[in-house]
Amino acid sequence: MSAATATISEDKMDARTKSVAPDEGTRLGFRLTLPAQILVLFISAFPLLMQLYISVTDWSPLSGVGWWNAWEMWNSFANYTDLAADTRFWSALQRTAIVMLVCVPAEFLLGLALATLFADDFPGKRIFYSILLMPMMVVPAVAGYMFFMLFQSGGPVNDILSRIVGAPVTVAWLSDPNLALIAVMIADIWQWTPLMFLILLAGLVGVPEDQMKAATLLGANAWQRFVTIVLPKMKTIIIIALAIRVIENFKIFDTLYIMTGGGPGVATETISVYIYKVTTQDLIWGYVAAIALAILIVLSIVAVYAMKRMAKAREVQA
Amino acid sequence: MKRSISFELFRYAAILAAMGVTLVPILWMVSMAFKPIGEWSATGADLTWWPKQPTLANFQFVFGHSTNDLIVALDHTAVKPILSSLLSAVFGTVIAMSAGTAAGYGLSRFGSGQNLPLALIQLRLFPPMAVMIPVMIMWAFLNLNDTWWGLALIYGIVTLPFAFWLMKTFFDDMPREIEEAALVEGCSRLRVFTRITLPMMRAPLASAALFVFILNWSDYLIALLLTTREWVTIPVYMASLSSSMTGQLYGAKAALGLIAAVPPVIMGIAIQRHLVRGLTFGALKQ
Repeated sequence: MSAATATISEDKMDARTKSVAPDEGTRLGFRLTLPAQILVLFISAFPLLMQLYISVTDWSPLSGVGWWNAWEMWNSFANYTDLAADTRFWSALQRTAIVMLVCVPAEFLLGLALATLFADDFPGKRIFYSILLMPMMVVPAVAGYMFFMLFQSGGPVNDILSRIVGAPVTVAWLSDPNLALIAVMIADIWQWTPLMFLILLAGLVGVPEDQMKAATLLGANAWQRFVTIVLPKMKTIIIIALAIRVIENFKIFDTLYIMTGGGPGVATETISVYIYKVTTQDLIWGYVAAIALAILIVLSIVAVYAMKRMAKAREVQA
Repeated sequence: MKRSISFELFRYAAILAAMGVTLVPILWMVSMAFKPIGEWSATGADLTWWPKQPTLANFQFVFGHSTNDLIVALDHTAVKPILSSLLSAVFGTVIAMSAGTAAGYGLSRFGSGQNLPLALIQLRLFPPMAVMIPVMIMWAFLNLNDTWWGLALIYGIVTLPFAFWLMKTFFDDMPREIEEAALVEGCSRLRVFTRITLPMMRAPLASAALFVFILNWSDYLIALLLTTREWVTIPVYMASLSSSMTGQLYGAKAALGLIAAVPPVIMGIAIQRHLVRGLTFGALKQ
């Protein structure tokens, strides 16, 4: 879309300015995009080939041969067959899915609720807005540390619970397998609900006021207005917001790793934590490369599909 | 639209509840940063939400001035990690913004690099953990491991998608009349870009740069994998800070956390207007 408008205005400019060579823009455009192209190539093509190569070997940084000689340790795709049978990998994947299925909808609903409260003006709106956005700006590792302190058995969360219950509560949040996962999800929801709030509010403000007024005059109540006017108008924005959180939530590492280190045992081990542990503790990099490649391939397929859907949605809207 | 009193009451009650949940974790860390060692892990009736005897000892400790309360000595102080975080985030931002601004302009005006939008979104899609093996090998080969410039390079690439998309949409939105007029006057296109467009875009450039800086400054995983001792960043240093004698150094870590958390929060509030655009790759504007 933007490319089309760019070429149109360029034609106009060239027609008006005879002194400019017709291909000056193309050459400059090429030179301007070159650094970005080099960086993208540097981080995609070569690493991908390297990953592919290592993934069919038993190579490890401790194996005593350089990675380019990894073919000496060729293991005829054993990494991939191992992966299919690796229960720790599959349960990490399952855990990542559970975290995503709890956190993203919770963040979405809380963010949407907050956004509807902020849709019109009221005294103190700006200051409340700024404060509510703060969690998403806190460095994730620091947020992880905050929640690590909060969930200590003698910590503030139990203190608040004790006051509510009226008896001392000493739940060991981070050393109980189920509670640890809940604690980790609470931290993620705390940090990323503001992002949903921010994006959904931007969409909510774009809903035309006169349509809402007309609907009110026709006797629609708040819920009916919300379902028939607001939600359809916000469809694209909701999809974008959900897509962003799904992508980012899948990578979940920083907060979680600081809080629990993936533990107790493997109770909070998500896919990123699992790969991190195999990389730094077990040091079987050939296997890590295989896991990573499998994930990259699946994600690429999902991405291409999602991009096509989004492009279609945008066309329909425009 | 006129709202009823009961709605207003409900709204303030709900917002105050949300504010409470938002602020408790932050306030607890701030309070912890000023607590003396005796209050760090006080529990039950002794647990205090605000330090009884506020102290700066935690900050003095992480900067190497060991105080009587804290009998442990540090391997090295927080000075170098802070320097490492700053240098890597600043130069990472420089790399991402230079390449991203140039490419954004190239695509917006001349339609060059049509592959970049999708390629860069894909770059953002992948978990960093899934591409770190080759990066670690390459960085070791290039002698970039455990250096701030090695971090700056990978940060520059990781945040390039944001820099590119933000600047591209800013250029798309910019009226072209002035550029066209300058072309008519006989300016070369490069001159138009460097002498007219860029100075006009100073404010959006600054916002995009702050946005990218926050992302770089917030990294933990990449620094955890690529730095080991000399140039660890603040989060890595913070996480490693505990000793067998005292266990978790709660107050000292909270002090470090506070140091790490303050810059992005201030910057984030400063660029609030552009956050939506940045986070959605320019798909949405506020």
